[in-house]
Amino acid sequence: MAVLEELREAVLTGDKDRAVEVTRLGLETSIDPQALIDDAMIPAMDEVGRRFEEEEYFVPELLLSARAMKAALELIRPLLADTGASSRGCIVIGTVKGDLHDIGKNLVSAMFEGAGFEVVDLGSDVSPEAFVAAAREKSADLVGLSALLTVTMPSMKSTIEALEAAGLRDRVKVLVGGAPLSTDYAVEIKADAYAPNATAAVRAAQELVGGRAPCR
Amino acid sequence: MKGRTRVLSLLDGRPLDRLPLMPITMMFAADQIGVPYGRYATDHRVLVRGQIETARRFDFDHVSAISDPCREAADLGAAIEYYPDQPPAVVESKALLGEARQLARLECPDPTSAPRMADRIAALSLLRQEVGGDLLIEGWVEGPCALAANLRGINALMLDVVDEPGFVRDLCAFCVELALLFARAQVEAGADLIGIGDAAASLVGPARYEELVFPEEQRLIEGIHALGARTRLHICGRTRRLLRQLARLGTDILDLDWMVPIEEARAACGPEQVLLGNIDPVALLRGGTPAGVREGLGDCHAAAGGRYIVGAGCEVVRDTPLPNLLAMVEYARAHGGRAGPGSHP
Ligand code: B1M
Repeated sequence: MAVLEELREAVLTGDKDRAVEVTRLGLETSIDPQALIDDAMIPAMDEVGRRFEEEEYFVPELLLSARAMKAALELIRPLLADTGASSRGCIVIGTVKGDLHDIGKNLVSAMFEGAGFEVVDLGSDVSPEAFVAAAREKSADLVGLSALLTVTMPSMKSTIEALEAAGLRDRVKVLVGGAPLSTDYAVEIKADAYAPNATAAVRAAQELVGGRAPCR
Repeated sequence: MKGRTRVLSLLDGRPLDRLPLMPITMMFAADQIGVPYGRYATDHRVLVRGQIETARRFDFDHVSAISDPCREAADLGAAIEYYPDQPPAVVESKALLGEARQLARLECPDPTSAPRMADRIAALSLLRQEVGGDLLIEGWVEGPCALAANLRGINALMLDVVDEPGFVRDLCAFCVELALLFARAQVEAGADLIGIGDAAASLVGPARYEELVFPEEQRLIEGIHALGARTRLHICGRTRRLLRQLARLGTDILDLDWMVPIEEARAACGPEQVLLGNIDPVALLRGGTPAGVREGLGDCHAAAGGRYIVGAGCEVVRDTPLPNLLAMVEYARAHGGRAGPGSHP
């Protein structure tokens, strides 16, 4: 119990060294590795997201917490692979064509990893063709599209159309996010879901594809 | 009253005929003259034509040499990607300061001979030749945090502010050295006012802003004043939590993004501060109606009281419907400017 609470605190305050130390301790005392994620890291990142929305936390704090979580995950992931519960599904993510904003996308990507998904991050300014190729090659369950510019939102639509044209759309869910978006827009372009922030993105991904196979 | 006189009258507390109008245009201005943005950003003659044409069409009080955040970074040797119809952008994966210690080896180039900075200086000379005296001429520099982000990579810089504050302080100080050299050359070429864009500053939060960014922004503003020019500070994004500090900077114009309630800015800055803005450039100016634009500006104006300049929260985006922009123009034309103090709710 104390370990979970301490890990939560370490992630919340972005203390990477402490997060690693506590995780190591937890694993030595044979706490269920999945519990470290589900009962400490995810709730911590939820709280980080809430503080960001409330303007108590700012981008440095977001990135520090994500870094602490990733460092702790490095220790946990091999153990999850041993138990066979290695991945909750394969996600291909990127910022769409013409758009270079990647801070939010990087956070969402880190959160997906934290939640146990396998993530293929294509970076920013990603063409519809590149999304299609990666989705096919990796046998992705979900494609995550990020856009911060109003003028690049149509690239989301073209990416979804390209997935359709490639015959992948019935196998791949599409999640969209980024500051200028809305649920209405997501519906209009036939995405499966819209998430306003990183924790909502994890929840949406879990609902859409939770429990699927890892990337190929 | 000519645009230049109008803006300077407001800044100096003299009477003026109507509200000054100073929206930021870049891609919108290039589209006005039907030139792809890549050319607008890299050829000062195109930029000057776009600015003058746009200012004339929409009765703006100023013309500006703003184009993209990469001029200083490019001349320092950063990897830049140029696009046919978009602003040039820094390639973050090949950041110039991939290692923090590389800062020690960085030297300020001479802005008058470094190609991308010299192109902006040439734009200002040409603007002075073409519209000097009629319209206020605005130069532009990157603020300390924005340039630091361009050199280090914004994702890395956001961690540095916690891990390596000393490095960030040194880096911001270097950025201000260059900004002041660049500002001097722009003022000599004809700029009446220097705009400072410091987008990344909105991301660090008030404590780190106070410690690392504020002192350098303040030094930059004081340095530009010493050159005999005015300043306009624009920080994209959520700066509501920075208002108490922004109030102490001494910038002539505080240009606010749309997420900041102007009444809070007025309360924090007091009645003397000139405020500019700040309707939502995307949802309202691009996506709304002329009536909505008038109403939005009416709210901003009422909240700001006197010492107010009409504009959007950020760049007037591409594809903004002309009737909406004209509604903004009409708003400025229809309302008397007040040189006197703003109301202080
Ligand atoms: C897959 O599922 C999902 C689910 C949720 C998802 C998701 C995906 N992706 C995001 N989310 C969500 O979760 C995240 C965490 O909660 C959130 O992510 P966000 O990304 O929203 O939030 C981040 C944690 C923090 N926020 C950010 O990182 C964005 C910050 C601001 C200041 C910003 C920055 C930093 C930059 N910019 Co730019 N920039 C602005 C921004 C103003 C602001 N403060 O909002 C914005 C976004 N920029 C804008 C503009 C216009 C531009 N920018 C440009 C450039 C840049 C920089 C390169 C300088 C830099 C980006 C560096 C980088 N590597 O990312 C230019 C375009 C370049 C390009 N082609 O992309 C340029 C065109 C400016 C110019 N003329 O040069 C504006 C967009 C307006 C619009 N709606 O169209 C802008 C809102 C500023 C403004 N006030 O006008 C959620 O949206």
